[in-house]
Amino acid sequence: MKKVQKIQGWALFIILLIIGLLMVYPMIWMLVSSVKSANEILNQPLQLIPRSFHFDNFTNALKAAPFMQWLWNSAWTTVVIVFMQLFFSSLIAYALTQFKFMGRNVLFAIILATYMLPSATTYIPSYVILGKMHLINSLIGLVISNLANVFVIFLLRQSFMSVPKGIIEAARSDGASEWTILWQIVVPMNKNAVLNATLIGFITNFNGYLWPSLLLNDTKKQVISVGLNSFSNTQGAFDQTFPIIMAGTTIAVVPLIIVYVILQKYFVQSSKTSSIKG
Amino acid sequence: MEMKASKRQLLLFVVIPLIPLVVFWIIPLIVSLWLSFTDWNYISPTFDYVGIKNYTQLFASQDFQQAFAHTAYFTFFSVVPIIVFGFLLAVGLNKLKRSYKFIQALLFAPWVTPLIGMSIVWGWIFNSKVGPINQILHILHLPEPQWLTNPTAAMWTIIIVTIWKNAGWAALFFSDALAKIPSSLFEVSDMEGLSWWQKIWYVLIPLVSPTTLFLVIVMILECLQAYDQITVLTQGGPAGSTTTLLYLYYQLGFKQFQMGSATALSIVILVISAILAYISIRMSRKHTYY
Repeated sequence: MKKVQKIQGWALFIILLIIGLLMVYPMIWMLVSSVKSANEILNQPLQLIPRSFHFDNFTNALKAAPFMQWLWNSAWTTVVIVFMQLFFSSLIAYALTQFKFMGRNVLFAIILATYMLPSATTYIPSYVILGKMHLINSLIGLVISNLANVFVIFLLRQSFMSVPKGIIEAARSDGASEWTILWQIVVPMNKNAVLNATLIGFITNFNGYLWPSLLLNDTKKQVISVGLNSFSNTQGAFDQTFPIIMAGTTIAVVPLIIVYVILQKYFVQSSKTSSIKG
Repeated sequence: MEMKASKRQLLLFVVIPLIPLVVFWIIPLIVSLWLSFTDWNYISPTFDYVGIKNYTQLFASQDFQQAFAHTAYFTFFSVVPIIVFGFLLAVGLNKLKRSYKFIQALLFAPWVTPLIGMSIVWGWIFNSKVGPINQILHILHLPEPQWLTNPTAAMWTIIIVTIWKNAGWAALFFSDALAKIPSSLFEVSDMEGLSWWQKIWYVLIPLVSPTTLFLVIVMILECLQAYDQITVLTQGGPAGSTTTLLYLYYQLGFKQFQMGSATALSIVILVISAILAYISIRMSRKHTYY
C-alpha cells in the first residue's frame, strides 16, 4: 500500500512537472531562438540547445529599435502610476472607512458598481479629454489618465475596514492628525493589501497595451509593449527576421521574468486578490 | 465612531484624490453613453442626436452579429477549459508532497509575462512552416493546420493562448479553496469507500462551487476584454473570423472614427459586464468562499 502511494506520488509529480514546463515552454523557446541563427531555427526549430550562440541578434535588435528607451518609458510611467494610485486610493479609502461626510454612500456605491466595468468604455472620451489638455502622444498624458483606479480604491477600502476602531480612536485622543493616522498606522497595518495592489498595478501597467497604443505615436515615446509590437510588425514575419524579433521580444520580456523570479511568492499571493484588472 | 470630517480634511482626503477618478473614469463613462446617441465622427466639430439609431444599426449589422457570435464562441471555449484545467491542476497540486511551490511558480508564470511579447512568440510557435507545433504534428503524421490563416484554426490559436495565460491563475484559486476543505470530510469519504472520481464528483466539485462561479464570471470578463493576443496574432482576421466585440469597438472607434457606433458598442460590452459584475457581487454576499 505504502509503495503504491509512493509511486503514485512520483507519477503525479512528473505529470505536473511536465505541464509546468509546457507552460514556460514559450519563454524557453523564445530565449533559445534569440541566440540561434536564422538557418538553425529554420532547419531545427525543435532543438533546445543552440549549436552556436549568436549574441549579435541582440546588438542588431538594439540597433534597429530604441528598446532601452521603451523599457525606461514603461518603467518610470509604471512606477509613477502605481505610486500615485496607491497615494490617492489610500486617501479615499481612509475617508470612506473613517469619515462621515455627505455623499459617502453614493461614492462607495459608484466605486462598487463600476470597478469591474471594462476600461475600454472610457477610451474615446478620455482620448478627447487628453486632447483638450494637449496631452495626446505624451507619456505625461498616459500617467495622468491612469491616476485613478477604482479597483485599488475598492481593494484598500475592503482592507481598511478591518482596522479596529479602538486603535484609531486612541490615536485621535493622543492628538494624532488624520494624515498621520493614515500613513503611520492604517497603511502599515494593511501592508498586505498595499503590496498586492502594488504588484498587480506593476504587472497591468508595465504589460498594458491597448490604451498606450492609442495614445502614443512617436517611436521614441512608446512604452515597451507597443514598441515591441510595432518592431515585430516592421520586421515582418520572414524567416530571416525571426532571430532579431525573438531577441527584441526577449529584451522586452526578460525584465519581468527576473522580477517574477525574485518576487515569485508575493506574486502568487497577490494575484489572488486581483479579481479583475484595472 | 466615525468622525465628521472638516472642510479641510474633505478637500485633502476626498475632493483632490477624486479629481482623476471623476475626469478619467466617471465622466468618460457618462460621455460614452451620451456619444452613443450622436453621429459624431471625431473630426467634425458638430454632431446631431440620432436617438437609438446607433444601437438599432449596430444590432442589425452583420459585423456586430458576427463579432457577437465570435465573442461567445471564444469565451465559451476559453472559459470551460480554463476552469476544468485549473481545477484538475489544483487537485494535483494539493496532493503533491514535494516541489509544490516550484511547480506552482511555473504554472503561474504566463499570467505575469507580457501578453504582447508572448503572443509574438506564440505566433512563431504556430507558424505553419517553421513553428514547433506543426513540426511535431509532422513527425506524428498528423494534419498540420494553417493556424493563422484558416478562420477556424485562427480562432483556436487565440483560444489556446488565452487558456495558456489563465489556467494556472485559476488553479491558484482552486488550490486555495481545496486547501480549506476540512480533512475530516476526506476521512468520511474514505470510510464510505468512495473511488477517487466519486470523491472529486461528490465532494470536491460541490465544495468549490462558489470559487468556480466566481472564476467563471471573472474569466468571462477577461475574455470580453481580450485584445493583446488578437491584435498580435490575427488582427481580427482572417476575414473577420477572430474579431470580437472589443476588437470591433477598436476598429469602429479608432480606425473608422464612427464614434457613435463605437460608443454604442462599448455600452453594450459595459452592460454585459455590469450584469456579470452584479451577479458576482450578489454571490459574494451570499457565500463565503471556501
